[in-house]
Amino acid sequence: MKENPYMTILRTGPGTSIQDLGREGLGQYGIPVSGVMDSISMRWVNHILQNPEKEAVLEISLPGLKVHFGSPTIICIAGAKANITLNDSPIKSEGLFLINEGDVLSFGSFIMGSRLYLGVKKGFKVPIVLNSKSSYQGITESGMLKKGDQLEYSSIHEHQNPTWSTVKFDRSWMDSNTIEAFHGPEWGELADKNKDKIQNGVFTISKLQNRMAIQLEELIPNLLIEMSTAAVYPGTVQLTSGGKLIILMKDAQVTGGYPRILHLPEKSIAQLSQKSPNQQFIFKIINFE
Amino acid sequence: MKPIHSIITTTLSEIKWSLEISDLLLQKQLALKSILENHFQKNILEIGVGFKTLGISWKSKFPFKEVQALIDQFEEMEEYAPLSNKVWQIPACYDLELGRDLENLASAKGLEVKALIDLHSKNNYRLHFYGFLPGFMYLQGLPEVLFTPRKSLPDASVPAGSIAIGGNQTGIYPSVSPGGWHLIGQTPIILFDPSNTPPVWASPGDLIKFNPISIEEFKSIQQNPQQPVWEK
Repeated sequence: MKENPYMTILRTGPGTSIQDLGREGLGQYGIPVSGVMDSISMRWVNHILQNPEKEAVLEISLPGLKVHFGSPTIICIAGAKANITLNDSPIKSEGLFLINEGDVLSFGSFIMGSRLYLGVKKGFKVPIVLNSKSSYQGITESGMLKKGDQLEYSSIHEHQNPTWSTVKFDRSWMDSNTIEAFHGPEWGELADKNKDKIQNGVFTISKLQNRMAIQLEELIPNLLIEMSTAAVYPGTVQLTSGGKLIILMKDAQVTGGYPRILHLPEKSIAQLSQKSPNQQFIFKIINFE
Repeated sequence: MKPIHSIITTTLSEIKWSLEISDLLLQKQLALKSILENHFQKNILEIGVGFKTLGISWKSKFPFKEVQALIDQFEEMEEYAPLSNKVWQIPACYDLELGRDLENLASAKGLEVKALIDLHSKNNYRLHFYGFLPGFMYLQGLPEVLFTPRKSLPDASVPAGSIAIGGNQTGIYPSVSPGGWHLIGQTPIILFDPSNTPPVWASPGDLIKFNPISIEEFKSIQQNPQQPVWEK
């Protein structure tokens, strides 16, 4: 029988894309890092599937995705907790699942967290552009996935693994409202009372959040710190001239002209990418050792 | 004045100069960048140039004291590697249809359109670094009379190749994008090609020169877009 190893998108909300760990070392050409927002969940998916750690997965950031598998494989899901069905039967939102030819997988409402990751054994066979499979409009052929798109994978026919039922995905880190942060290059120029606000205040995720940045609701009075355009990174927290705090995420541009008051490590980026608008958190300043 | 090296995280650091933006500062930045890259070949992932900074991404925990020693040594140098003398020749069509803000900008400046074009196309612009969008060049050298605050309401869509003025800078949009700069023309050349390594043709330190072309020449080059050529 002819193999048809494609996953077809039958339906999707906005915000579904292919991501790996992104493009490192290409900021010098103005190229964003890209890659998964939550690398903790993505790494778990690849680990459980015994894929290479950088293998690309599907990042799903809104309910509504429905996919059809044209050939048997093994998939793994992690990240947000959601209502997921396989051929209309509910399944857990984490762990390994056997997929048969013709299976349909649907992602409904999210119960906890904001981003789900779906990996297939041996990965999706999408083109590598500038060392990465990560989607980014203008670098890869397409940006976000849409209805009718097809992703190739490898058919897998061996279907036995006695340890499957035992895999557990721990979500406690996702729930934490303490976000660790380093001081950014311009931290020292903040007035003491504003340093205090940032270190001791409670912050709220606003509706303005996507793969490029997360804006916070609270304002820090503008201090008129001026700076020349300099390198920024995923995790850079900028203070705009209007007093807004903007946390740069994976698709952020590589340079910026706003003071960089904090810098978040990878774990904090993953935690924030699992939060939704109106959720609150505090910053905990950490030092490099 | 000596640049300051500060640690951001275990794998990120930044060198910052308290000097005005200039060719001399860029020359120092690029010279130190190359010294660091040679010395720490295996340990540096990338150095990102800013107007007054070098942002260093390290592959693993970095030897702060060794970096500081290199910077101290560098400060005692009296001569630096010269900046590039490549001048990239960019065909630029200042047609009113392509440069949709050209007439308004000229009248706001009290200039004839032709005078504005002459002012914009006579200078060589220095490429300091890429940022904002893949392949977007941060250029210095705009004549002061052309400095113009950005639009208060950005355009939802600016065509790829658009030549624009914003603040004290001029630039070329490498891809379709929202944009708040004033559009004065368009180039038919390709600025960013992800299938090439590297995906851009100019390097920091190179110069950019806009050469006015007619709308007919624009259309003809657009049929068969090429990379620009450079002269010395």
